[in-house]
Amino acid sequence: MLEGTDVKNSSTSLWSLRAGERCRIESFDDKLAERYRIRMMELGFHPGETVSCVQSPALGAPKVYRVSNTMFSLDDEVAAHIVVSLLPHE
Amino acid sequence: MSKIVLIGSPNSGKSLLFNRLTGLHQKVANFPGITVDVSSGSLQSLPEITLVDFPGTYSLQPISGDEQVAVKFFTQALDDPNVTQVLCLIDVTRLEKSLYFTLQVIRESARHGKHVTVLANMMDVLEKHHIQVDLAGLSAQIKAPVLPVSARTGSGIDALLARLKANQLQPRSKAAAALTDTPDELLRGTALQLARRFGPKGDILIKSQARLDDFFLHTTLGGLAFFGIMYLLFQSIFTWAAPAMDAVEALLGALSNIVVPAIPNQMARDFTADAIFSGIGAFLVFVPQIFVLTFIIGILEDSGYMARAALICHKPLRLFGLTGKSFIPMLSGVACAIPGIYAARSIDSPKKRLLTYMAIPLMPCSARLPVYTLLIAAFIPQTTALGGLVGMQGLAMFLIYFFGMACGLLVTGLVSRFREDHFTDLPFVLEMPPYRMPAWQPLLRNAWNRSKHFVTKAGKIIFGVTVIIWVLGYFPNGGADLNASWLGHLGHVVEPIFAPLGLDWRYGVAVLTSFLAREVFVGTLGTMFGIEGAEENMVPLVAQIQASGLSVGSGLALLVFFAIALMCVSTLAILSREAQSTKLAVNLFAAYGVLAYGLAILVYNLAGLVGV
Ligand SMILES: Nc1nc2c(ncn2[C@@H]2O[C@H](COP(=O)(O)OP(=O)(O)O)[C@@H](O)[C@H]2O)c(=O)[nH]1
Repeated sequence: MLEGTDVKNSSTSLWSLRAGERCRIESFDDKLAERYRIRMMELGFHPGETVSCVQSPALGAPKVYRVSNTMFSLDDEVAAHIVVSLLPHE
Repeated sequence: MSKIVLIGSPNSGKSLLFNRLTGLHQKVANFPGITVDVSSGSLQSLPEITLVDFPGTYSLQPISGDEQVAVKFFTQALDDPNVTQVLCLIDVTRLEKSLYFTLQVIRESARHGKHVTVLANMMDVLEKHHIQVDLAGLSAQIKAPVLPVSARTGSGIDALLARLKANQLQPRSKAAAALTDTPDELLRGTALQLARRFGPKGDILIKSQARLDDFFLHTTLGGLAFFGIMYLLFQSIFTWAAPAMDAVEALLGALSNIVVPAIPNQMARDFTADAIFSGIGAFLVFVPQIFVLTFIIGILEDSGYMARAALICHKPLRLFGLTGKSFIPMLSGVACAIPGIYAARSIDSPKKRLLTYMAIPLMPCSARLPVYTLLIAAFIPQTTALGGLVGMQGLAMFLIYFFGMACGLLVTGLVSRFREDHFTDLPFVLEMPPYRMPAWQPLLRNAWNRSKHFVTKAGKIIFGVTVIIWVLGYFPNGGADLNASWLGHLGHVVEPIFAPLGLDWRYGVAVLTSFLAREVFVGTLGTMFGIEGAEENMVPLVAQIQASGLSVGSGLALLVFFAIALMCVSTLAILSREAQSTKLAVNLFAAYGVLAYGLAILVYNLAGLVGV
């Protein structure tokens, strides 16, 4: 979903990350309701924050992301609407 | 009476701390949002103070109906003059997750002049990794005391109690007044800066955790592990619960043999034997199952596996409007609906929890098994197809099980599409707790408490229903002949309802009594046909039913009826308690009753058309 839409070239969605990749959160797209945006920020998914994808299980199951010391599992309902830019491997 | 409010985000260790401070053992589980109730208990060392435990929330800005309730309770508590202090619990290893919430709590408490103490929990984890955090610096910035504690090891608890005592002497807090006018956006910015400055620097997540996830979330290995664990769950019901259920039966039987003959009065004797021992016994045999299932589900939650299982099942269940968190409650419903309904508490989205409640009663529970066994033995020929590969009776059993589950998913799939109700819905955002060794004692205690809750809450209603059924069956002729009793008459009255299924009044009576527990159908039908002990040995009853000239269509109709109808008083009682809605229980009962009856008529007539 939502890959390569109207965002900048290097940007992609959090959902498109594969296990082992890191990114920086740029913004949220308009399709994510305001209250979910706020909640994601409360959980640590702030613009500017570094997030890595720890697991991307097969068959479209929710992926596991790490923000600082917490792991969250997100579904594409949310992750597809978080705009990120990929970071080089550590 | 002074009260202290304990608040914190899910998984910050609130239940464990609450248990430690009050000595009351509340559920401790490793799955977000487990505390739905507001529970309270007096402090062990300061009995004049009551600690009130609030549902875990990530924020004071609610995004679902549930959270709204929690936040409303919190603001009400702040208005309560008896509430003198607020304890805000945060997981110090994940400061960035909790600080915004903490600032909100400090602001609201300051507005109401209540003392706030911030508790930095899980200090033991930081110590183990030799990571320092500057709690004094943080405290100065947020203008509230921050105390290091560990709910697990108990360190810091004495200092906390001393602080609470000191605060009690000073009724109104003057601290943190600086925050009172800060708007949310500013608070969020501040929280972020504070987290960057004071958050623990270092890697707390251990490599072994990641390796466990590599295994448990692996496409093939993880899938195999998933099925293995679910298989064990079921196996354990048979290996642990079944003997306990037999033991309960044997115990009640033995007790009944001692007590009953000692009663001089004939009627009192019959009442004790039939209503107390047999009736209540039919209900008590389910207690071991509820205990074992609750215990095992607790292990899954506390070990951290539950969140992984939810992740694995999420995608397929989403098709039917459910979430991955619906899986375990529904699976448990295949053994017994009650622990499933209890387990559904952990579903944070109110909409998906409601849908899960709808699906659970359609799961083929173990009380249906004796009914299915009887009906299949009586109506499905013992022939095989495909050269002996497929036995018709086995196939029928499989199909009726599958039918129940499919109906459950169909119902939720349909309802979720017709109910657009966004405020109660939440997207799938699940904190993945680290894998941990479960804490056995609280789990056992929790299983015990749930069983007790079941016995006390459902027991009263069951007892009432048992007495009614007994009276109807006993009078006016002293239990000599069930056919001539009031219940028998009632059977004749309801006969027109069952006539379109080709069933006579005796089946009507058996269906009426099966409200107690579905399996009671077998025993009652036995009595109606003059056979004692049909529960243990169905063969004579099967022969009688076959000889009575009932058509296969009627048998199939009954099977379908039992697969759908929600005739289980215990389930209805617990459902209306847990969902806090008698309306839901009544509506589901009516809707599934109509659906069951409609489908049964359909099946009967279809069978007539094809001539079986
Ligand atoms: N190491 C450690 N673990 C803790 C501590 N407090 C709680 N836990 C664990 O964290 C998990 C979540 O705790 P729980 O009390 O259920 O959190 P709640 O969701 O806030 O009620 C449980 O597995 C606890 O055993 C602590 O101080 N140290």
